[in-house]
Amino acid sequence: MDNPTALKLFLDEVGDISRFAGKFLTQWFKPRYEIAEFVRQCFVIGYQSLPLVGLTGFIMGLVLTLQLRPSMVDYGVESQLPAIVGIAIVREIGPVITALIFAGKIGSSIGAELGSMKVTEQIDAMEVSGTNPFKYLVVSRVMAAICMLPILAVLSDAISLYGAYLGVNIKGATSFRLFWMLVIDNLAFNDVLPAFIKTFFFGFAVGIIGCYKGYNSKKGTEGVGHSANSAVVISSVVIFIIDLLAVQITDFLGFN
Amino acid sequence: MIKQPFNNIKLGAFVLSGLVFIILLLYLIGKNQHLFGTSFHLKVRVDNVQGLKPGNNVRFAGIDVGTVKKINIINDSVIEIDMVIEEEVQSVIRKNAMVSIKTDGLVGNKVIEITSAKLSAPTVENGDMLTPKKLIDTDEMLRTLNKTNNDLAIITENLKITVTRINNSKAVWNLLNDESIPKNLNQSLANIRKVTQTAGFMANDLQLMVSGVKSGKGTLGKIITDTVIAANINETILSIQAISKHADTLVKQLNATVADVQNNLNNGPGTVNALLKDSSLTNKLQLSLLNIQKGTDGFNQNMEALKHNFFFRGYFKRLEKEKIKANGKTQTN
Repeated sequence: MDNPTALKLFLDEVGDISRFAGKFLTQWFKPRYEIAEFVRQCFVIGYQSLPLVGLTGFIMGLVLTLQLRPSMVDYGVESQLPAIVGIAIVREIGPVITALIFAGKIGSSIGAELGSMKVTEQIDAMEVSGTNPFKYLVVSRVMAAICMLPILAVLSDAISLYGAYLGVNIKGATSFRLFWMLVIDNLAFNDVLPAFIKTFFFGFAVGIIGCYKGYNSKKGTEGVGHSANSAVVISSVVIFIIDLLAVQITDFLGFN
Repeated sequence: MIKQPFNNIKLGAFVLSGLVFIILLLYLIGKNQHLFGTSFHLKVRVDNVQGLKPGNNVRFAGIDVGTVKKINIINDSVIEIDMVIEEEVQSVIRKNAMVSIKTDGLVGNKVIEITSAKLSAPTVENGDMLTPKKLIDTDEMLRTLNKTNNDLAIITENLKITVTRINNSKAVWNLLNDESIPKNLNQSLANIRKVTQTAGFMANDLQLMVSGVKSGKGTLGKIITDTVIAANINETILSIQAISKHADTLVKQLNATVADVQNNLNNGPGTVNALLKDSSLTNKLQLSLLNIQKGTDGFNQNMEALKHNFFFRGYFKRLEKEKIKANGKTQTN
């Protein structure tokens, strides 16, 4: 595969995803609203992802604290460990790790689910039966992803902070009240709001890419696996790209 | 579909817990930044904010009571800081309170410190302008500290050398080990104390004397204060000076005379020079003296013979009687 062809394929794919996203936006506003399916997807995408996201967040908080501790001790600012860990979790670690885990679990799940429906022609059958498959399958899932990822990220932050509290207390003694005060004292709206807002975009990216890959799955059962895999890979890369753009925008707006 | 209500409860709890946490987080941050609750504004104008930013804490007596709301540049040398302060501390901050910009620790964030003045004043009101305190520049402080450190290093080095020398000195250790020195020192101190006391008394006496003399008491006082005596002394000194001059002339004349006599004695034709210088004259004189001695001896013998002579014996006896009489009279008296 020579480079011009690869570039052409890449641009073709980007264009397709953009058209898919545009279609999602136009379909989202149009009735009829699939509320029941949206709630069901919220349960599957959000609630059922919580144990995995929570576990990852807890471990991240604990590990981050233990990894930071020696350097903080070297610099004589051990007492500021909760503040540093709090800022790191709320600003970056919480949203990004949650989004990556979310992409791994939900992106692949959506890709595989819609891919199998596509290759087994269930989507075509829905169209024949008069149901709008895009609205029922794609809009509900993407909307659920957009709404659930911020909540998952917030809960992940909370669990991570608890993990960090335990991490601080493994080799030291800090009361939860003092830990919490130190975290809150060093947090500002500039730290919380941009991090919270970017999780909506992460959710959108994971949902739309998973749906696009599944909705456009080809080559039978082999294509299903490929759809699930590429949905995770592309979602993960897009999460980092959005993160990069988000930090540039917040910096430009003076929130950093 | 049977599980739907149960799923909804779980989903609802999940969504609510997430929302509650984010709202709680935002509320606590807002509360920390004094965005909620009643507050009032205070202002201060400084020439340099030293990196202070909106959102930095404001402290009163070390307690966080507010935040910096806004920093406005009034002109090239005046910058106004607007602070949001909790209303509950309004009753303890006075109008004459001083404001300074400090650093939280050595490398921490900038904070505004409100310090109470000692004099009482009415409490502050919304929008009051507080007075800035003279700020200490950390850089300048560190520069001074650096110089002090260098000086300290030199002093320490010198001290080290001195201590080493003292350690190696047997004389110093002998001195330190000698137990009699403290006793002697105590004794010396006691003596010094006595001497000092005596000197004190002496000084007092001297002061009394001086004041007496100043006031004209005693001979010295009279000498110093009496103008007549001073004039007499002056006159006397002048006379002494005149006499001295005269005496000087006399001494010169005497010297000339003595020199002349000496010259005459040594070289002149007189008897004295002959006596001193002519040895034959001396011999003749000695011979003459011998002859005189012989003559007087013979005369004595003649006189003795005369006393025993018949003609003169009565005369001599009468002389003796008168002599005895005269002696008796002196004894009775």
